[in-house]
Amino acid sequence: MIQKKICLLGASSVGKTSLVKRFVEGIFSEKYLTTIGVKIDKKTLSIANKEMNLLLWDMEGNDSYNVFQERYLRGAAGYIIVVDQTRASSLLEGIDIHTLARQVTNCPAILAINKSDLLATWHLDDSEHQAYQNIFDLEFLTSAKTGKNVEQMFSSLAELLLKCEKNDITT
Amino acid sequence: MTSLLNTVLSALEQIVLEVTDTDTGTVKWLEGDSEWTNNLFPKLDSQKTFVINQESPFLLDFLIDARQIWDKSENCKLRSGLWTEITQNNKELHLEAIAIKQEQRNLLVISNQLENFTHQQNTKQLAREVLLSYDRLFLKNEYLHTRLLSILKQPVEQSNILATLAKVIENAEFAVLVASNDFSTCIENSAALTLFEQGTLKNTSTPRAIDIIIKLMKNQLPEYERILTTNSSWDGELCWILPPSTLKWLKIGLYPVKNKFNDVENWIVFANDISTIKHLTQRNEQLALQDMLTELPNRFSFLQVLEKHVASNQPFYLLYVDINDFRQHNEFYGHDEGDKLLIEFAQRIKHVVKTSDFIARVGGDEFAIILSNVDNKAACSSAIQGMVNNISKPFYTNKAEHFHVSVSIGAANFPNDAESAEELMKFVDLSAYNGKATKKNSVLFYSKSMKDASHDLLKIEQELRQAIKNNEFELYLQPIIDIKDNSINKAEALIRWNHPDRGIVSPDGFIAIAEKSGLIISIGEWVINRACQIARELDLKGFDIKISINLSPSQVADANLFSYLRTCIHDSQINPSLLELEVTEDVLVDDYSVAEKLLSKARMIGMSVSVDDFGTGYSSLSYLKKLPLDYLKIDRSFINEIVTDDNDKAIVRAVIAMAHNLNLCVIAEGVETPEQLSFLVDNSCNSVQGYMFSRPVQLAYFIKLLNEQKNIN
Repeated sequence: MIQKKICLLGASSVGKTSLVKRFVEGIFSEKYLTTIGVKIDKKTLSIANKEMNLLLWDMEGNDSYNVFQERYLRGAAGYIIVVDQTRASSLLEGIDIHTLARQVTNCPAILAINKSDLLATWHLDDSEHQAYQNIFDLEFLTSAKTGKNVEQMFSSLAELLLKCEKNDITT
Repeated sequence: MTSLLNTVLSALEQIVLEVTDTDTGTVKWLEGDSEWTNNLFPKLDSQKTFVINQESPFLLDFLIDARQIWDKSENCKLRSGLWTEITQNNKELHLEAIAIKQEQRNLLVISNQLENFTHQQNTKQLAREVLLSYDRLFLKNEYLHTRLLSILKQPVEQSNILATLAKVIENAEFAVLVASNDFSTCIENSAALTLFEQGTLKNTSTPRAIDIIIKLMKNQLPEYERILTTNSSWDGELCWILPPSTLKWLKIGLYPVKNKFNDVENWIVFANDISTIKHLTQRNEQLALQDMLTELPNRFSFLQVLEKHVASNQPFYLLYVDINDFRQHNEFYGHDEGDKLLIEFAQRIKHVVKTSDFIARVGGDEFAIILSNVDNKAACSSAIQGMVNNISKPFYTNKAEHFHVSVSIGAANFPNDAESAEELMKFVDLSAYNGKATKKNSVLFYSKSMKDASHDLLKIEQELRQAIKNNEFELYLQPIIDIKDNSINKAEALIRWNHPDRGIVSPDGFIAIAEKSGLIISIGEWVINRACQIARELDLKGFDIKISINLSPSQVADANLFSYLRTCIHDSQINPSLLELEVTEDVLVDDYSVAEKLLSKARMIGMSVSVDDFGTGYSSLSYLKKLPLDYLKIDRSFINEIVTDDNDKAIVRAVIAMAHNLNLCVIAEGVETPEQLSFLVDNSCNSVQGYMFSRPVQLAYFIKLLNEQKNIN
């Protein structure tokens, strides 16, 4: 079975753990419980008749209490930068983390704009959208609470990883 | 022995594995045994080796770093950091691995960190919830503040302000009050009524919310008096205690709304109940006393320490450090960069103070420092110099743009200047505030005379307000002579203040105060209007004389200036070519793009532009090429010694040549002798101005000069 390491990165309390919980266990909890260190969950997906085991590295959010550590990205097949659409600062922090991550890996990167069930306090205008499309492979507006786009995001990433693998073999 | 070691390791919740093959990750159990170990490694057997595999991806990944430790010959170790492992029977283990090289043995210790994990989670959970709450509060307050300002600054006739305000504030989730300048009248939203509700008996009068806030500020803020007298804004925390049952922590924001005379017309007040946040932080002593952003002690902690120092009766210096123009920095680079600056700024000060000194963040961009064991001004100055040197080095944004900050530092001595914590805080706050006008690094030691001077300044500011209303200003004109035909073709308009008691006051005595207080905009508008009237009068008398008006930095930055100029030109029915704008070099360099836009528009409608005091400021040749200019005015300091000083001669020759190359004309200021004039004529200077021809004179006398000139010609 193919096994892929996926890292979830972002500022603290943007909903990384909730996205994993929704995807792996199909549940959501309103109670915020901050992640400490790293927690790894696993889920097997069936993509194009192939089984793929995703190792989801849910990392402690980055803020003044926890700085981003590139070493956790080692061996990652892809990563998801999670930002919170109710906090504009989380986008800037997310982009900073993405920049740091890009210094150690070129693997596919996804932007997840989470908490889409809540009222947005910021929006990307067309030019920003364009700019982010260039630096992320995929972009999703997600809600761990309602489940919107969560499954789709992980599946799309898995498909993308499979495609990358095929390309690798071909080349 | 082994049995004892085993017991100890079990108590510590650790197991020790020996790595028998570092390449494959093969390990053998050595010591330690607990229930969780079997959950983690079901195959654990003291007799057999086993391989760390994909079942534990975090540990497998850590082996890559661990190999570098085991490959070394000397003793060393490496920690993995905390991770959570979900075991096969679905239990969560909070673990840390330590790779050890000890006496040629390769060891791997796995430690169950449940206790540490729980402690970290509790602390960080609190800290992050508090950060989030403040973040939300900040965003909501910022939004509403901007909205209210835009409403309050609308012309009265254009809106039904009260109704609009009431509507806008009513839906805010926190208390919002909009008060008159003396707090006598006030509109407030429902949230304000609820927040300050006291559950008093019927028929007893309840104090108004605004009165409660003002009383709390008066009692809890040493800076209160200065904030109100200088019309400054403030935000911070206050504690409202009302026995028997009320104890609320309030985050208050107080913002003045000023009119064009810089008078406060209204105060906007925000009050957020942060008792829950406070309660959260107080569950953790460190968080209660620490500023979350900079990790320095907070204001509350600082006041406690200051009281202790005062009680100890040992002499010390108190410093108040205020970052100049921090708000502008925030607006320009964004709040994240502002936060980054505060963190680095705090670190820089921390690096230069002694461990026995105490530093805290006491306000948004304000820091306070207690210099223990410093009892003389010289030692205090040298400590401050160290700080200023470190702060003066460039700061960098995330995008690697570099910038500089300057600070205003106030200093006061215990016990010589004040004997109570409250007075000390009041005095250093005032000293720092007084230094702010320079916009450069300033250090002011508190003195009685400073307090008096500060009162004098406020008095002049008040008198200036009256002067604008009472029309006490007058424009004098100083002729500018065109060398080519030896006649007056222009005049510089210079303001004088006919003070009711002190007689004529020259600009040196009030322009700086007007600039600092914002009154310069109104005074500048008066000058423009009057200059247009004079140009019109001269034009009607048949004189083709250009009037040159000086613009201050604030005027150049004023978005309404150009439309005001146009209105005056239109109303006085003059040709715009009869007006010239004079700006100093520093204005051009400080705010190049704003100046460039303004001057281009002015020239487009036919006005001319000159650079005043050329040579005394930045003298950047690059802006001379790019900016829309007509004249350079060489500063009088070069003309003074032009006959005797070879350097000045060379400079003036060079400036004239350069200006002509750029198609600019040159005016020499401060010409007082025929020798100076002769040098300027010989070197093709275009125009001259100075006492040799005339002092600045009143309009009637100026007309007389023009008539005399006409008669001669």
